[in-house]
Amino acid sequence: MNLAIVIVIAAALALGIILRLAVTQSLQAKRSTNLVGAIRPIDVEAFRNLINPAEDEYLRCRLPANRFREVRRQRLRAMAAYVHVAGSNAAVLVRVGEAALASGDARIAGAAQQLVNDALLLRRNTTVALARIYLALAWPNSGFAAVRVIERYEQVSGTAMLLGRLQNPAVPVRLSARL
Amino acid sequence: MLQPHSLLWHYLWIGPHILQVALAVFLWRRGMHKRFPVFFAYLIFEAIEEFTLYGMDLLPWVSVRTWWLTFCVGLVPEGFIRIGVIAELSFHLLRSRSAVAKAGSLLITGTGAILVLLAAVAAAYAPIDNPQYALASRAYILQQTLYMIECGLILFLFLFTACFKLSWDRTTLGIGLGRGISSSVHLATWAVIANGGLANRRYLLDFLNVATYHLCVLIWFYYLLVPQKIATTSAVSLPENNLDIWNRELERLLHQ
Repeated sequence: MNLAIVIVIAAALALGIILRLAVTQSLQAKRSTNLVGAIRPIDVEAFRNLINPAEDEYLRCRLPANRFREVRRQRLRAMAAYVHVAGSNAAVLVRVGEAALASGDARIAGAAQQLVNDALLLRRNTTVALARIYLALAWPNSGFAAVRVIERYEQVSGTAMLLGRLQNPAVPVRLSARL
Repeated sequence: MLQPHSLLWHYLWIGPHILQVALAVFLWRRGMHKRFPVFFAYLIFEAIEEFTLYGMDLLPWVSVRTWWLTFCVGLVPEGFIRIGVIAELSFHLLRSRSAVAKAGSLLITGTGAILVLLAAVAAAYAPIDNPQYALASRAYILQQTLYMIECGLILFLFLFTACFKLSWDRTTLGIGLGRGISSSVHLATWAVIANGGLANRRYLLDFLNVATYHLCVLIWFYYLLVPQKIATTSAVSLPENNLDIWNRELERLLHQ
Protein backbone atom coordinates (compact mmCIF):
# COMPACT_ATOMS: atom_id res chain seq x y z
CA MET A 1 0.00 0.00 0.00
CA ASN A 2 3.01 2.30 0.55
CA LEU A 3 3.74 2.05 -3.14
CA ALA A 4 0.15 3.05 -3.93
CA ILE A 5 0.46 6.12 -1.71
CA VAL A 6 3.68 7.17 -3.47
CA ILE A 7 2.06 6.70 -6.91
CA VAL A 8 -1.10 8.59 -5.86
CA ILE A 9 0.98 11.54 -4.63
CA ALA A 10 3.05 11.48 -7.85
CA ALA A 11 -0.13 11.34 -9.96
CA ALA A 12 -1.69 14.25 -8.03
CA LEU A 13 1.48 16.31 -8.56
CA ALA A 14 1.49 15.43 -12.26
CA LEU A 15 -2.16 16.44 -12.57
CA GLY A 16 -1.50 19.76 -10.81
CA ILE A 17 1.48 20.54 -13.05
CA ILE A 18 -0.36 19.58 -16.25
CA LEU A 19 -3.40 21.70 -15.33
CA ARG A 20 -1.24 24.67 -14.39
CA LEU A 21 0.82 24.49 -17.57
CA ALA A 22 -2.27 24.04 -19.74
CA VAL A 23 -3.93 27.09 -18.18
CA THR A 24 -0.72 29.11 -18.58
CA GLN A 25 -0.55 28.01 -22.21
CA SER A 26 -4.17 29.07 -22.86
CA LEU A 27 -3.60 32.45 -21.20
CA GLN A 28 -0.38 32.97 -23.17
CA ALA A 29 -2.25 32.43 -26.42
CA LYS A 30 -4.69 35.16 -25.43
CA ARG A 31 -2.06 37.64 -24.24
CA SER A 32 0.43 37.66 -27.06
CA THR A 33 0.51 41.44 -27.26
CA ASN A 34 3.21 43.66 -25.81
CA LEU A 35 5.75 40.86 -25.82
CA VAL A 36 8.51 43.18 -26.93
CA GLY A 37 8.24 45.07 -23.66
CA ALA A 38 9.30 41.93 -21.85
CA ILE A 39 12.75 41.96 -23.48
CA ARG A 40 15.50 42.99 -21.07
CA PRO A 41 18.68 44.38 -22.62
CA ILE A 42 21.95 42.64 -21.83
CA ASP A 43 25.40 44.16 -21.61
CA VAL A 44 27.18 41.68 -23.85
CA GLU A 45 30.62 43.19 -23.29
CA ALA A 46 30.29 42.83 -19.54
CA PHE A 47 29.23 39.25 -20.06
CA ARG A 48 32.15 38.62 -22.44
CA ASN A 49 34.47 39.97 -19.81
CA LEU A 50 32.92 37.69 -17.20
CA ILE A 51 33.47 34.55 -19.23
CA ASN A 52 36.91 35.48 -20.55
CA PRO A 53 39.30 32.66 -19.53
CA ALA A 54 42.22 35.11 -19.56
CA GLU A 55 40.51 37.14 -16.81
CA ASP A 56 40.13 33.99 -14.77
CA GLU A 57 43.77 33.08 -15.30
CA TYR A 58 44.83 36.56 -14.27
CA LEU A 59 42.76 36.34 -11.08
CA ARG A 60 44.05 32.84 -10.37
CA CYS A 61 47.68 34.08 -10.56
CA ARG A 62 47.08 37.21 -8.51
CA LEU A 63 44.88 35.94 -5.70
CA PRO A 64 45.37 33.35 -2.96
CA ALA A 65 43.47 30.10 -3.69
CA ASN A 66 40.63 30.65 -1.22
CA ARG A 67 40.15 34.26 -2.28
CA PHE A 68 40.19 33.18 -5.93
CA ARG A 69 37.42 30.62 -5.30
CA GLU A 70 35.34 33.31 -3.59
CA VAL A 71 35.78 35.78 -6.47
CA ARG A 72 35.22 33.04 -9.04
CA ARG A 73 31.94 32.09 -7.37
CA GLN A 74 30.79 35.73 -7.42
CA ARG A 75 31.65 35.93 -11.11
CA LEU A 76 29.80 32.67 -11.78
CA ARG A 77 26.69 33.98 -10.00
CA ALA A 78 26.81 37.13 -12.10
CA MET A 79 27.27 34.97 -15.19
CA ALA A 80 24.22 32.91 -14.24
CA ALA A 81 22.16 36.08 -13.91
CA TYR A 82 23.19 37.19 -17.42
CA VAL A 83 22.51 33.77 -18.96
CA HIS A 84 19.16 33.65 -17.19
CA VAL A 85 18.15 36.97 -18.77
CA ALA A 86 19.40 35.81 -22.18
CA GLY A 87 17.24 32.69 -21.80
CA SER A 88 14.19 34.76 -20.81
CA ASN A 89 14.72 37.02 -23.82
CA ALA A 90 15.00 33.95 -26.05
CA ALA A 91 11.69 32.70 -24.66
CA VAL A 92 10.04 36.03 -25.51
CA LEU A 93 11.54 35.90 -29.00
CA VAL A 94 10.16 32.38 -29.50
CA ARG A 95 6.71 33.71 -28.73
CA VAL A 96 7.16 36.78 -30.95
CA GLY A 97 8.33 34.54 -33.79
CA GLU A 98 5.48 32.08 -33.33
CA ALA A 99 2.95 34.90 -33.30
CA ALA A 100 4.42 36.18 -36.58
CA LEU A 101 4.35 32.71 -38.16
CA ALA A 102 0.65 33.13 -38.83
CA SER A 103 1.41 35.99 -41.18
CA GLY A 104 0.22 35.52 -44.76
CA ASP A 105 3.40 37.14 -46.08
CA ALA A 106 5.89 34.43 -47.04
CA ARG A 107 8.92 36.64 -46.26
CA ILE A 108 7.64 37.45 -42.76
CA ALA A 109 6.78 33.81 -42.13
CA GLY A 110 10.26 32.78 -43.28
CA ALA A 111 11.96 35.34 -41.03
CA ALA A 112 9.68 34.32 -38.15
CA GLN A 113 10.60 30.65 -38.63
CA GLN A 114 14.28 31.58 -38.60
CA LEU A 115 13.80 33.65 -35.45
CA VAL A 116 11.97 30.79 -33.70
CA ASN A 117 14.74 28.33 -34.56
CA ASP A 118 17.54 30.67 -33.51
CA ALA A 119 15.76 31.58 -30.28
CA LEU A 120 15.11 27.91 -29.48
CA LEU A 121 18.79 27.13 -30.02
CA LEU A 122 19.69 29.99 -27.71
CA ARG A 123 17.20 28.73 -25.15
CA ARG A 124 18.76 25.27 -25.36
CA ASN A 125 22.25 26.71 -25.03
CA THR A 126 21.31 28.83 -22.03
CA THR A 127 19.81 25.78 -20.31
CA VAL A 128 23.05 23.85 -20.83
CA ALA A 129 25.15 26.88 -19.87
CA LEU A 130 23.20 27.37 -16.63
CA ALA A 131 23.70 23.72 -15.73
CA ARG A 132 27.43 24.12 -16.31
CA ILE A 133 27.58 27.34 -14.31
CA TYR A 134 25.89 25.70 -11.34
CA LEU A 135 28.30 22.78 -11.62
CA ALA A 136 31.20 25.21 -11.77
CA LEU A 137 29.87 26.87 -8.60
CA ALA A 138 30.51 23.60 -6.82
CA TRP A 139 34.00 23.32 -8.36
CA PRO A 140 35.16 26.90 -8.94
CA ASN A 141 38.60 25.78 -10.18
CA SER A 142 37.14 23.99 -13.19
CA GLY A 143 37.26 25.59 -16.65
CA PHE A 144 34.13 26.97 -18.24
CA ALA A 145 33.08 28.20 -21.65
CA ALA A 146 29.83 30.02 -22.39
CA VAL A 147 31.00 31.77 -25.52
CA ARG A 148 28.40 29.97 -27.67
CA VAL A 149 25.63 31.65 -25.67
CA ILE A 150 26.87 35.11 -26.69
CA GLU A 151 27.32 34.12 -30.33
CA ARG A 152 23.83 32.65 -30.43
CA TYR A 153 22.39 35.70 -28.70
CA GLU A 154 23.84 38.02 -31.31
CA GLN A 155 22.54 35.81 -34.11
CA VAL A 156 19.04 35.80 -32.59
CA SER A 157 19.10 39.58 -32.19
CA GLY A 158 19.98 39.95 -35.87
CA THR A 159 17.13 37.67 -36.92
CA ALA A 160 14.70 39.52 -34.66
CA MET A 161 15.62 42.82 -36.29
CA LEU A 162 15.15 41.29 -39.75
CA LEU A 163 11.69 40.11 -38.74
CA GLY A 164 10.90 43.56 -37.33
CA ARG A 165 11.88 45.19 -40.60
CA LEU A 166 9.75 42.78 -42.61
CA GLN A 167 6.75 43.22 -40.33
CA ASN A 168 6.76 46.97 -40.44
CA PRO A 169 8.73 48.35 -43.36
CA ALA A 170 6.97 51.73 -43.11
CA VAL A 171 8.80 52.59 -39.96
CA PRO A 172 12.38 53.72 -40.55
CA VAL A 173 14.59 50.97 -39.26
CA ARG A 174 17.66 52.22 -37.51
CA LEU A 175 19.57 49.01 -37.43
CA SER A 176 22.72 50.93 -36.88
CA ALA A 177 24.07 54.16 -38.22
CA ARG A 178 27.51 52.66 -38.11
CA LEU A 179 26.75 49.63 -40.24
CA MET B 1 -26.88 6.44 -6.74
CA LEU B 2 -23.17 5.75 -6.43
CA GLN B 3 -23.76 2.02 -6.62
CA PRO B 4 -22.75 -0.43 -9.35
CA HIS B 5 -25.50 -0.91 -11.95
CA SER B 6 -27.29 2.29 -10.93
CA LEU B 7 -28.53 4.58 -13.69
CA LEU B 8 -25.58 6.90 -13.16
CA TRP B 9 -23.22 3.94 -13.35
CA HIS B 10 -24.70 2.87 -16.70
CA TYR B 11 -24.58 6.41 -18.04
CA LEU B 12 -21.01 7.10 -16.97
CA TRP B 13 -19.77 3.82 -18.39
CA ILE B 14 -21.41 4.09 -21.79
CA GLY B 15 -22.24 7.81 -22.19
CA PRO B 16 -18.68 9.13 -22.77
CA HIS B 17 -18.08 6.46 -25.42
CA ILE B 18 -21.23 7.39 -27.31
CA LEU B 19 -20.00 10.98 -27.16
CA GLN B 20 -16.57 9.99 -28.41
CA VAL B 21 -18.10 8.18 -31.39
CA ALA B 22 -19.97 11.41 -32.14
CA LEU B 23 -16.68 13.29 -31.79
CA ALA B 24 -15.01 10.86 -34.20
CA VAL B 25 -17.81 11.49 -36.73
CA PHE B 26 -17.35 15.27 -36.38
CA LEU B 27 -13.58 14.91 -36.81
CA TRP B 28 -14.12 12.82 -39.93
CA ARG B 29 -16.55 15.33 -41.42
CA ARG B 30 -14.13 18.18 -40.78
CA GLY B 31 -11.20 16.23 -42.21
CA MET B 32 -9.34 16.40 -38.89
CA HIS B 33 -8.78 12.65 -38.89
CA LYS B 34 -6.03 13.25 -41.47
CA ARG B 35 -4.17 15.56 -39.08
CA PHE B 36 -4.64 13.33 -36.03
CA PRO B 37 -5.02 9.78 -37.38
CA VAL B 38 -3.81 8.06 -34.20
CA PHE B 39 -6.13 10.05 -31.95
CA PHE B 40 -8.97 9.30 -34.36
CA ALA B 41 -8.11 5.58 -34.21
CA TYR B 42 -7.98 5.86 -30.42
CA LEU B 43 -11.51 7.30 -30.26
CA ILE B 44 -12.89 4.50 -32.42
CA PHE B 45 -10.96 1.68 -30.75
CA GLU B 46 -11.74 2.82 -27.20
CA ALA B 47 -15.45 3.11 -28.02
CA ILE B 48 -15.61 -0.37 -29.59
CA GLU B 49 -13.68 -1.86 -26.69
CA GLU B 50 -15.92 -0.29 -24.05
CA PHE B 51 -19.15 -1.17 -25.91
CA THR B 52 -17.93 -4.78 -26.03
CA LEU B 53 -17.04 -4.84 -22.33
CA TYR B 54 -20.31 -3.16 -21.38
CA GLY B 55 -22.31 -5.66 -23.44
CA MET B 56 -20.40 -8.56 -21.92
CA ASP B 57 -21.04 -7.18 -18.44
CA LEU B 58 -24.79 -7.16 -19.08
CA LEU B 59 -25.00 -10.59 -20.69
CA PRO B 60 -25.63 -13.17 -17.94
CA TRP B 61 -23.95 -16.08 -19.76
CA VAL B 62 -20.56 -14.32 -20.02
CA SER B 63 -18.35 -15.57 -17.18
CA VAL B 64 -16.28 -13.28 -14.99
CA ARG B 65 -13.11 -14.93 -16.26
CA THR B 66 -14.07 -14.32 -19.91
CA TRP B 67 -14.85 -10.69 -19.11
CA TRP B 68 -11.46 -10.11 -17.48
CA LEU B 69 -9.69 -11.99 -20.26
CA THR B 70 -11.33 -9.73 -22.86
CA PHE B 71 -10.40 -6.71 -20.72
CA CYS B 72 -6.73 -7.78 -20.63
CA VAL B 73 -6.62 -8.59 -24.35
CA GLY B 74 -8.08 -5.17 -25.18
CA LEU B 75 -5.61 -3.39 -22.93
CA VAL B 76 -2.55 -4.29 -24.99
CA PRO B 77 -3.53 -2.61 -28.30
CA GLU B 78 -5.18 0.20 -26.34
CA GLY B 79 -1.91 0.85 -24.53
CA PHE B 80 -0.01 1.01 -27.83
CA ILE B 81 -2.58 3.39 -29.32
CA ARG B 82 -2.42 5.65 -26.25
CA ILE B 83 1.37 5.83 -26.53
CA GLY B 84 0.85 6.48 -30.24
CA VAL B 85 -1.35 9.48 -29.39
CA ILE B 86 1.54 10.93 -27.35
CA ALA B 87 3.91 10.30 -30.28
CA GLU B 88 1.44 12.14 -32.49
CA LEU B 89 1.30 15.09 -30.08
CA SER B 90 5.10 15.30 -29.92
CA PHE B 91 5.27 15.13 -33.72
CA HIS B 92 2.92 18.11 -33.99
CA LEU B 93 4.85 20.03 -31.33
CA LEU B 94 8.33 19.42 -32.73
CA ARG B 95 7.96 19.14 -36.50
CA SER B 96 8.23 22.89 -37.20
CA ARG B 97 10.86 23.47 -34.50
CA SER B 98 13.92 21.91 -36.09
CA ALA B 99 16.20 23.51 -33.48
CA VAL B 100 14.84 21.34 -30.68
CA ALA B 101 13.26 18.49 -32.66
CA LYS B 102 16.23 16.13 -32.34
CA ALA B 103 16.88 16.92 -28.69
CA GLY B 104 13.15 16.64 -27.97
CA SER B 105 12.86 13.24 -29.65
CA LEU B 106 15.91 11.95 -27.79
CA LEU B 107 14.62 13.20 -24.46
CA ILE B 108 11.15 11.72 -25.03
CA THR B 109 12.69 8.35 -25.92
CA GLY B 110 14.94 8.49 -22.86
CA THR B 111 12.05 9.48 -20.59
CA GLY B 112 9.95 6.65 -22.05
CA ALA B 113 12.71 4.13 -21.32
CA ILE B 114 13.05 5.34 -17.71
CA LEU B 115 9.27 5.22 -17.25
CA VAL B 116 9.09 1.65 -18.58
CA LEU B 117 11.74 0.69 -16.04
CA LEU B 118 9.93 2.43 -13.17
CA ALA B 119 6.59 0.96 -14.21
CA ALA B 120 8.14 -2.53 -14.32
CA VAL B 121 9.54 -2.07 -10.81
CA ALA B 122 6.16 -0.83 -9.53
CA ALA B 123 4.43 -3.79 -11.21
CA ALA B 124 6.88 -6.22 -9.60
CA TYR B 125 6.01 -4.87 -6.15
CA ALA B 126 2.22 -4.97 -6.66
CA PRO B 127 0.62 -7.92 -4.85
CA ILE B 128 -1.42 -10.76 -6.39
CA ASP B 129 -2.94 -11.93 -3.12
CA ASN B 130 -5.83 -14.09 -4.14
CA PRO B 131 -5.05 -16.69 -6.84
CA GLN B 132 -8.79 -16.90 -7.57
CA TYR B 133 -8.71 -13.31 -8.87
CA ALA B 134 -5.22 -13.48 -10.35
CA LEU B 135 -6.45 -12.45 -13.79
CA ALA B 136 -8.18 -9.35 -12.42
CA SER B 137 -5.10 -8.47 -10.36
CA ARG B 138 -2.91 -8.74 -13.46
CA ALA B 139 -5.32 -6.49 -15.33
CA TYR B 140 -5.08 -3.88 -12.55
CA ILE B 141 -1.27 -4.04 -12.62
CA LEU B 142 -1.23 -3.77 -16.41
CA GLN B 143 -3.45 -0.68 -16.18
CA GLN B 144 -1.18 0.86 -13.54
CA THR B 145 1.86 0.16 -15.74
CA LEU B 146 0.35 1.67 -18.90
CA TYR B 147 -0.98 4.76 -17.12
CA MET B 148 2.35 5.33 -15.37
CA ILE B 149 4.16 5.41 -18.72
CA GLU B 150 1.47 7.55 -20.37
CA CYS B 151 1.17 10.03 -17.51
CA GLY B 152 4.94 10.42 -17.30
CA LEU B 153 5.28 11.03 -21.03
CA ILE B 154 2.49 13.62 -21.12
CA LEU B 155 3.93 15.38 -18.09
CA PHE B 156 7.29 15.43 -19.85
CA LEU B 157 5.73 16.93 -22.99
CA PHE B 158 4.12 19.73 -20.96
CA LEU B 159 7.36 20.43 -19.06
CA PHE B 160 9.46 20.36 -22.23
CA THR B 161 7.21 22.83 -24.04
CA ALA B 162 7.07 25.06 -20.96
CA CYS B 163 10.87 25.03 -20.68
CA PHE B 164 11.28 26.15 -24.30
CA LYS B 165 8.13 28.34 -24.24
CA LEU B 166 6.72 26.48 -27.21
CA SER B 167 3.10 27.17 -27.99
CA TRP B 168 0.55 24.38 -28.42
CA ASP B 169 -2.11 24.80 -31.05
CA ARG B 170 -5.64 24.52 -29.71
CA THR B 171 -6.32 20.98 -30.94
CA THR B 172 -3.02 19.58 -29.68
CA LEU B 173 -3.48 21.29 -26.31
CA GLY B 174 -7.00 19.88 -25.99
CA ILE B 175 -5.89 16.33 -26.74
CA GLY B 176 -2.87 16.65 -24.45
CA LEU B 177 -4.90 18.13 -21.61
CA GLY B 178 -7.58 15.45 -21.88
CA ARG B 179 -5.07 12.61 -21.95
CA GLY B 180 -3.08 14.28 -19.14
CA ILE B 181 -6.09 14.52 -16.81
CA SER B 182 -7.28 11.05 -17.72
CA SER B 183 -3.90 9.36 -17.30
CA SER B 184 -3.02 11.02 -13.98
CA VAL B 185 -6.40 10.31 -12.34
CA HIS B 186 -6.49 6.76 -13.73
CA LEU B 187 -2.90 6.16 -12.61
CA ALA B 188 -3.86 7.08 -9.04
CA THR B 189 -7.02 4.97 -8.98
CA TRP B 190 -5.47 1.90 -10.65
CA ALA B 191 -2.47 2.12 -8.32
CA VAL B 192 -4.82 2.03 -5.31
CA ILE B 193 -6.80 -0.88 -6.80
CA ALA B 194 -3.69 -2.81 -7.91
CA ASN B 195 -2.17 -2.50 -4.44
CA GLY B 196 -5.29 -3.72 -2.68
CA GLY B 197 -6.61 -0.41 -1.36
CA LEU B 198 -10.28 0.41 -0.73
CA ALA B 199 -11.21 -3.24 -1.23
CA ASN B 200 -14.82 -2.76 -0.07
CA ARG B 201 -15.44 0.52 -1.83
CA ARG B 202 -13.70 -0.13 -5.11
CA TYR B 203 -16.79 0.91 -7.04
CA LEU B 204 -16.13 4.50 -5.88
CA LEU B 205 -12.83 4.42 -7.74
CA ASP B 206 -14.66 3.05 -10.79
CA PHE B 207 -17.03 6.00 -10.58
CA LEU B 208 -14.10 8.40 -10.32
CA ASN B 209 -12.49 6.78 -13.39
CA VAL B 210 -15.56 6.96 -15.61
CA ALA B 211 -16.52 10.47 -14.43
CA THR B 212 -12.99 11.69 -15.19
CA TYR B 213 -13.12 10.11 -18.62
CA HIS B 214 -16.46 11.80 -19.27
CA LEU B 215 -14.88 15.14 -18.37
CA CYS B 216 -12.00 14.45 -20.75
CA VAL B 217 -14.35 13.69 -23.64
CA LEU B 218 -16.11 17.01 -22.98
CA ILE B 219 -12.71 18.76 -22.97
CA TRP B 220 -11.97 17.21 -26.38
CA PHE B 221 -15.34 18.39 -27.67
CA TYR B 222 -14.56 21.92 -26.52
CA TYR B 223 -11.02 22.12 -27.84
CA LEU B 224 -11.56 20.23 -31.08
CA LEU B 225 -14.95 21.52 -32.19
CA VAL B 226 -15.53 24.96 -30.67
CA PRO B 227 -13.84 27.45 -33.00
CA GLN B 228 -10.94 29.40 -31.57
CA LYS B 229 -11.32 33.13 -31.21
CA ILE B 230 -8.80 34.68 -33.55
CA ALA B 231 -6.26 36.25 -31.24
CA THR B 232 -4.63 39.49 -32.27
CA THR B 233 -1.02 38.54 -32.66
CA SER B 234 1.94 40.81 -32.24
CA ALA B 235 2.64 40.35 -35.94
CA VAL B 236 -0.23 42.67 -36.76
CA SER B 237 -0.75 44.61 -33.55
CA LEU B 238 2.63 46.24 -33.13
CA PRO B 239 2.06 49.97 -32.76
CA GLU B 240 4.17 52.01 -35.12
CA ASN B 241 6.66 53.13 -32.54
CA ASN B 242 7.07 49.68 -30.99
CA LEU B 243 9.52 48.55 -33.60
CA ASP B 244 11.65 51.57 -32.87
CA ILE B 245 11.83 50.65 -29.20
CA TRP B 246 12.61 47.09 -30.20
CA ASN B 247 15.45 48.17 -32.46
CA ARG B 248 16.84 50.59 -29.91
CA GLU B 249 16.99 47.84 -27.27
CA LEU B 250 18.64 45.37 -29.61
CA GLU B 251 21.00 47.97 -31.05
CA ARG B 252 22.12 48.81 -27.55
CA LEU B 253 22.62 45.13 -26.91
CA LEU B 254 24.68 44.58 -30.05
CA HIS B 255 26.96 47.59 -29.73
CA GLN B 256 27.56 47.92 -26.02
